[in-house]
Amino acid sequence: MLAVSLKGMAGRKLRTVLTALAVVLGVALIAGTYILTDTIDRQFDQIFAQVRQGVDVSVTPKKVFNSDNNATPPAFPESYLSQVQNVPGVQKASGGIFDDGVVLDNKGKKIGGANGAPNFISSDAPAPFNPFHYVAGHGPRGPNEISIDKYTADKQHWKVGSIVRVGGQGPATPYTVVGIAKFGNLSGLAGAPIAVMTLQQAQKVTDKVGKFDGIDVKAAPGVKPEALVQRVQQALPGTVTVRTGAEQAAKDASDTKSGLGFIKTILLVFAGVALFVGAFMIFNSFSITIAQRTRELSMLRTVGASRRQVLGSVLGEAVVMGFTASLIGLGLGVALAKGLKALFKAIGADLPGGATVLESRTIIVSLIVGTLVTLVASLSPAVRATRIQPIEGVREGAVLPSTRFSRIKTPFGAVTLAIGVGLMCLGLLTGSSGSGVWLPLLFGTILVFIGAAMFSSRLVKPIASLVGRPIESLRGVTGQLARENATRNTARTASTAAALMIGLALVSGVTIFASGIKKSVNSAIDNSVKAGLVVENKDGWTSIPAAAGKAVGQVPGVSSSSEIRLSQAKVAGVSGTPDVSGVDPATLPSVYQLDWKKGSNATLAGLARDGGNNTIVSESWAKSKDKHVGDKVAVTTQSGNHATYTIIGTYKNNVHFLGDLAVSNATLARDFKITEDQFVMFGLKPGANADQVKTQAENILSKQFPNAQADTKSGFKKTQTEWINQISAFFYVLLSLAVIVSLFGIVNTLVLAIYERTRELGLLRAVGMSRRQVKRIVRYESVITALIGAILGTVLGVFFAVIVSRPLASEGFELSFPVGTLVILLILAGLAGVLAAITPARRASKLNVLEALAYE
Amino acid sequence: MNASLIVSAVDLHRRYGEGDAAVDALDGVTVGFPKGRFTAIMGPSGSGKSTLMHILAGLDRPTSGSVVVDDIELASLDDKKLTQLRRDKFGFIFQFFNLLPVLTAEENITLPLKIAGKKPEKAWLDELIEAVGLSDRRSHRPSQLSGGQQQRVAVARALLTKPAVVFADEPTGNLDSKAGDEVLQMLRRAADEYGQTVIMVTHDPHAASIADHIVVLVDGKVVRETPAGEADEVVELMKAVA
Repeated sequence: MLAVSLKGMAGRKLRTVLTALAVVLGVALIAGTYILTDTIDRQFDQIFAQVRQGVDVSVTPKKVFNSDNNATPPAFPESYLSQVQNVPGVQKASGGIFDDGVVLDNKGKKIGGANGAPNFISSDAPAPFNPFHYVAGHGPRGPNEISIDKYTADKQHWKVGSIVRVGGQGPATPYTVVGIAKFGNLSGLAGAPIAVMTLQQAQKVTDKVGKFDGIDVKAAPGVKPEALVQRVQQALPGTVTVRTGAEQAAKDASDTKSGLGFIKTILLVFAGVALFVGAFMIFNSFSITIAQRTRELSMLRTVGASRRQVLGSVLGEAVVMGFTASLIGLGLGVALAKGLKALFKAIGADLPGGATVLESRTIIVSLIVGTLVTLVASLSPAVRATRIQPIEGVREGAVLPSTRFSRIKTPFGAVTLAIGVGLMCLGLLTGSSGSGVWLPLLFGTILVFIGAAMFSSRLVKPIASLVGRPIESLRGVTGQLARENATRNTARTASTAAALMIGLALVSGVTIFASGIKKSVNSAIDNSVKAGLVVENKDGWTSIPAAAGKAVGQVPGVSSSSEIRLSQAKVAGVSGTPDVSGVDPATLPSVYQLDWKKGSNATLAGLARDGGNNTIVSESWAKSKDKHVGDKVAVTTQSGNHATYTIIGTYKNNVHFLGDLAVSNATLARDFKITEDQFVMFGLKPGANADQVKTQAENILSKQFPNAQADTKSGFKKTQTEWINQISAFFYVLLSLAVIVSLFGIVNTLVLAIYERTRELGLLRAVGMSRRQVKRIVRYESVITALIGAILGTVLGVFFAVIVSRPLASEGFELSFPVGTLVILLILAGLAGVLAAITPARRASKLNVLEALAYE
Repeated sequence: MNASLIVSAVDLHRRYGEGDAAVDALDGVTVGFPKGRFTAIMGPSGSGKSTLMHILAGLDRPTSGSVVVDDIELASLDDKKLTQLRRDKFGFIFQFFNLLPVLTAEENITLPLKIAGKKPEKAWLDELIEAVGLSDRRSHRPSQLSGGQQQRVAVARALLTKPAVVFADEPTGNLDSKAGDEVLQMLRRAADEYGQTVIMVTHDPHAASIADHIVVLVDGKVVRETPAGEADEVVELMKAVA
């Protein structure tokens, strides 16, 4: 029986290829994602193993709690080193610095760009802890000497003797390269440049004089690292973590990898979308071919094939197709991994490469998922195939027996839709965080799509009328026939359009949401920012040295300045690790107007009173955590300090400009040990030209603090919304995959429909229809189908954007409908319909009239 | 060539396949069809009668020979021109599947005009629909019509453009005898009342007997051309050639 199916597949090559393509693309994205992230992970594993070579025990500052921003905990005092050296069994111990910095390229820009790989400053470590081996020169010996990793040196054409500028907390200053080093057999840290300085210089540059970021320990012969860990731990206070070298390497690697974990999640979600769309197409394709094969299947039943055999034959075909497509997708994934890397590079995230890693997990998941999706999508058509009676072989025409389900499809679709919407609301309104929100949201969205697809066969006729009438009045009978053909089998048209609907819903949802964020950010800045100039990190979120703001403060035309700083805290008794902003109570009102809920600018002064133990909190945080003005909150800071603050006011935290809590900068420095700036805002003297001041500020920054940039208020709006465009563009690229799959679906349905209508087309040609007119009918039908999907998708997209943004309204989110963009999307969908019709239309027009009319 | 011939074919050959497997469907057919007359092309299965009709109607091209319709040499026309010719000068009635299921009876009738982007003449359309007895079925879809009614829609469609020739390919082959007779009578009246030239392919002697003129084909050759008499004579004729 399977042999019959397989021969049939070979006979319907175009259909088979088109259907399989949906699976191929989805699986390719899954495989590509795994290959890409595995390759990156492997690279990091190797790097950190090399870095910790020769280290038996490693001492690092303890993270007080895990938070979103992965901030490095503050360094510990140098005095710990002598305590470690006194531990019995320690042969040698050495303290060092390893911190973020800025290494400038030959043009004076941070290597890798603002959003690229981090730049590191490391102290030179003595043997046996030194992970470097020099291929040229030697390690740094004086304060103005550095050595550089070989990868960076090669890329920048630096040699021993080159002058390179490096900055830490202070301005970037020139150093002489005295050595080029490799890490074991690796030439660099996955593209992140590393400048190695003497210990004293590294401490000075990173503002950690008298402190260490870590202590490396070598055990005496015969002492097990595991045993030594315990002894070292006992000798030191609880604010440090003591691990074996191997454990520390694994921890470093997993920390770095978890930072990249979201990439894997996002890509897999998009792969899921593509496969979900593909499932609609497979369902459709199998339904139509089974209708067309009614005679063949009926004949098989007549000659004695059982229902079970018919079922097996159809499902067997699905499995063979799914498995083959998955195999091809897997192969394509290797190439796609490279494409994805290029995509990330295009949005400024240059991921490390290395030899391609193909884990067996990648192969297994790809093959199983691809095959399963095909199998599940073909289940319902396969069951319908079993209902074909032996007698139907003699009947003219191919009409599948309708199932009981088709009668209850519309109400069932409506109920599914309602449950989906309910789930989404549940997740958004009651879920507090994490999986409590996204799980119901995800399943809700899937149900909404399925429900809408089932319900939409009812909407095919009205929408086809809506978009078909204009074509009809313009093009007459070809338009009419196209519309009639599109509505002939509403279920088929609906499920073909549904594939496009999903893509369009996500694209328009993202578009509306992005436009809303932009509008919200713009109006929040308009309403609150009084500063004429803002200085921040070029990447938009990392802090900048306080010295940068001080330097810009000297520019003529600047009248006032106020620093805004950022850390995170754990608040006793409530979940989450809210952001804590540091503000300058005296100067903030001159540059930034808080949107007070309870309190006023006078309240700000209170932050400095009562020993600085007062705080103001965002209204949304206060509400969700049931905190009120007058309440006390006990916080644990990232530096491990404990403090109790009294809430003296609340504010509306529009677009999260500040954290959920705000304290004075003095308090932040005291309790959180944070003295770097997130933003520095400057008031301008009356009559000062903002652009001129900006140019002067930029001159200072580019020379000394290449990470920082100065913006006028309008420029600040632009930089604060730029990332939205980048992320939307990134989403569009990935969603386009789902749209492409759905276009293949339209092509497929059209090809199958044309095959069914061979005689009609023959008749039309016989009574005088030109090839061009035949092409037109097919093209318009395609456009109508595409527009049905696009219109339904846009409606769903609007719905998604509205419902997802509901909870954000209290945080200043304003909805905005980019009507122009949405109209363009509809036009593009129509054009996509034209594109999808090219092959089917050509087939239809090339039809041989006589053969088409030939009788049985 | 007789000036009153609307369709004439000279030495038509049509060969299918190549080499040993080649079949000559038409083997030197020369035949003329007078204007305003009802001609039946008869012959047993495989005699080449359908091939002849397809070539006369520009649906197929001869291997050699010439077809002139209304003073136009078909061989000189490309596919586009042939399509236009079919649209403007010919009407078609087929055995099966004559109508588009998505269009109403009236829309099916006016289809060729709509393809040409023209509007039907209201009075003529009403007269035709009345004549084929479908006044109360104008907005029905084919699936709501009987076989005979469907075929009458096809007859009206073929006549609406007042074509030079109506080609009917076994128009009664799929109908019961009563419905078949009605369709034949309509074609007869078209020739009588409107002077419509009709060329019908059939293997049914009873159907052929209603024509003015009968052309009998056997093995790709014209074996008889005779005015139609009674059905009996036609049956005898068929027996004679068989």
